[in-house]
Amino acid sequence: MRRVAVTGIGVVSPLGHSPQDVFEAARLGRSGIRRLDIPSVHRLATPIAATVQFDGAEHFEPPQQRMLDRVSQFAVVAARRAIADAQCELTDTERARTGVFLGTGMGGTLSMDDGYQTLYGQQSDRIKPMLILQGMHNAPAAWIAIEHQLSGPTLTYSTACSSSSVAIGEAWLRVACGALDVAIAGGAEAPLSLGSLKAWEAMHTLASVDVVDPAASCKPFSKNRSGMVLGEGAALVVLEPWDRAQARGAPIYGEIIGYGLTTDAGHITRPSGEGQAAAIRSALTSAGLSVQEVDSINAHGTGTHANDSVETAAIRLVFGERADHIPISATKAVHGHLLGAAGALECVLSLLALRHNVALPTMHLNEPDPQCDLDYVANVARPGAAGQTLMSHSFAFGGTNAVLALRAAGS
Amino acid sequence: MTTVDRIRAMLVKDYKLDANQLTADARLEDLGIDSLGMAELVFNIEDAFGLNVPDVAVTLTTFGEVVAFIDDLIVARDRAATPAVPPAMQALSPGHAP
Repeated sequence: MRRVAVTGIGVVSPLGHSPQDVFEAARLGRSGIRRLDIPSVHRLATPIAATVQFDGAEHFEPPQQRMLDRVSQFAVVAARRAIADAQCELTDTERARTGVFLGTGMGGTLSMDDGYQTLYGQQSDRIKPMLILQGMHNAPAAWIAIEHQLSGPTLTYSTACSSSSVAIGEAWLRVACGALDVAIAGGAEAPLSLGSLKAWEAMHTLASVDVVDPAASCKPFSKNRSGMVLGEGAALVVLEPWDRAQARGAPIYGEIIGYGLTTDAGHITRPSGEGQAAAIRSALTSAGLSVQEVDSINAHGTGTHANDSVETAAIRLVFGERADHIPISATKAVHGHLLGAAGALECVLSLLALRHNVALPTMHLNEPDPQCDLDYVANVARPGAAGQTLMSHSFAFGGTNAVLALRAAGS
Repeated sequence: MTTVDRIRAMLVKDYKLDANQLTADARLEDLGIDSLGMAELVFNIEDAFGLNVPDVAVTLTTFGEVVAFIDDLIVARDRAATPAVPPAMQALSPGHAP
């Protein structure tokens, strides 16, 4: 297996549009969660989300923009930024050995919602001709491949909240084993349609609005947590063999050293501590790490009652007494739950946390929960605490658990 | 505004084309309008002209053919909207009362 470096980062996120901006926002605990500004907002019990400041017209000519759902626009812009960031000029031969690996949970759900509004709301049969292209889950990955002429595999993963960790993990495997020379990997999500928001509300998984500060509504690991807050955006990374990156003098953000993937095979939503623990152990084995060698964790930490207590138990199960000494960050408190893009944004934040050796804070954690009794780096970033090796957790509805093992570039 | 002007204006606005390119013999393919673009154009023409364009429209190959095709549809529609008095109505006219 070859070592794999991350040499480019591209983000379109509620925390900002550059690696520096998202890291600074997460470090300072500046929340990207705000009141939603959509036409039917009065119909929402939880009218908040982590939204992205984004105007597609600044990035696309009208004929192309009309074919792209917001999720594809996010993905294509994030890919441009990641590839530019990697300063990666690809030859024709290398393009054939470059793949795109993209996670999305809900694909072009905004466009589909619009189509259904025409069909059922207006009782009209005039569905726009581009709807299939806008709605299909593999559109974001396909557009990235088209724009950059990447003719290796173009794969889309849809495993709900772990989609983009799976995408990065699967890309890592292919680059590590030599099947590919370069991979563009990550996730994109644009789930803030009325239909999607109401469906999430109906599941009773969303946080109630913090009346004092709506931006603080997501409270992972806090006893007063009430659920997750949806977010939108995209995060993509460029992966390439370590030797190749060094040979061309590329900036290296960090290294992906392992990947664990398991399935609960239990309940469709209720998380399993055993299943999560199995994924963490699998990532440790993949990376050749002992539990003593893990310096920090980016938790799945959604802010739901079930996830945060079960994840805590899973970490205890794997790390035993060592668990008390591992700083754990739950950054969804500030960027919300980007579903199929969550793992990728958290992978980016984790790489930056390692690079700066700062454990990112878990914001809005103001009531300790006896069931969540680990060190969550509550409310204030901790310089010097991210260490050299970090595990990034993503656990999903459907039971697909993905864990990425990351290492700082300098180590 | 004539049909050709209206369709030309749509292509300039929505497809960012140069009006001078839009001559009668300009091939849609050369203008960057593929079958998908044509499906979208037909949709927009239906809205703008209040027409129901049959599926065969997507096989047209030049700008001139599109304009002529739409003109024919407009003529057919207008003819259908102002029919001659049908024979059955004539039979009911006062001069022919039984």
